[in-house]
Amino acid sequence: MSKVVLKVKFPGNCNGCELCVMEVQKQAGKIGLDGSLIRILRENDSGGLSFVVDMDPKVNEVDIEKIAKICPTGVFEIQDLVEENNGLLE
Amino acid sequence: MDSLNRQILYINLEKNESEAKTFSELRSYIGGVGLGLKLLSIYKNEDPIIFSVGPLNGFFPFASKTSVVFQNEGSVEDIYFGGSLSFRLKFLGVDAVILSGVSKNPTVINIDDTVSFMKMNEDIKFHGLPGKRSILSLEEKGLFLDGFFQPPERILEQKFVEKNIKSIIFTGSKTFPIINEERYQQIYTEILSRINEMSVQKGDSPSCSGCPMGCLNSGVGEIGGNILVHCLVGCSFAEKIYSDVGTVFSCLNVLGYDYTHEDIENAPRLIAEILAEFS
Repeated sequence: MSKVVLKVKFPGNCNGCELCVMEVQKQAGKIGLDGSLIRILRENDSGGLSFVVDMDPKVNEVDIEKIAKICPTGVFEIQDLVEENNGLLE
Repeated sequence: MDSLNRQILYINLEKNESEAKTFSELRSYIGGVGLGLKLLSIYKNEDPIIFSVGPLNGFFPFASKTSVVFQNEGSVEDIYFGGSLSFRLKFLGVDAVILSGVSKNPTVINIDDTVSFMKMNEDIKFHGLPGKRSILSLEEKGLFLDGFFQPPERILEQKFVEKNIKSIIFTGSKTFPIINEERYQQIYTEILSRINEMSVQKGDSPSCSGCPMGCLNSGVGEIGGNILVHCLVGCSFAEKIYSDVGTVFSCLNVLGYDYTHEDIENAPRLIAEILAEFS
């Protein structure tokens, strides 16, 4: 059986727009940041502002294609776990 | 969401006290700069700094700015911050934060469900909730939000110095239900698809919350501009989208606001009347 999951493929691309957070929250029927399955953490220790995409594995229970699609900088990738593991999951 | 009343967080810097206030008579000013200027006229004797968001912040793309109004050497200033501040304020559940008076000592204000005044020797990075907070801080090189986003010019920075404010930590933990999911999603998608109407190029800078652009101007904020857009509070570069009364009406309507087209068209006139009080 094939299983697709959402991965943070290019974390350095994140520009902090939080459209992915809005999308995942909309799918949960709410607007806001609390309880989101994706959080965008802000870090500026190295002099500039950078972002860390923090994802709860439960995110794979929602429509992950919509989340990957809404990201303007291509941070996410949808991976097929069966292909990744050479069919071992089957 | 309360579409009739405006929720205001009033902070008295001199007494280190805060109070949540509800105003029922400010609906006509919509939000953002309209709401901010009306509050400035009410509290003008206290020389406040007023941060305010509009009805679209947190809900629709490109509504990514926070209005800040205050008096500077007798003039009324309206400036607009980018970054994540508008999301944090909206999800604090307030329409505006008023900072009144002058703190006796340099102060750090931590705003979440409550307001606390912290000691200067505490590390602000350990306060607020990651993913839900923004930190506005007076640093050596100026006033910065999350170490990157700045207000235009340096007039707000000067105001922070005068009021003895070192940092403010905003943490927004409130969520709102979506009333009409299908219609809301339709309007949201429609607006996001109008990205080509933005009057700025996409870039690789940190972006404001709710805006995919990452434009080169995100870090410098705005000063002045279209009144309706800044009541909402949209980005100036989205003026083509958010000065369209039909689009604005649809957005407000789906969120449960009962504004008419006339209400929206009248807002700039009401704001001009407030400004006349100051001149």
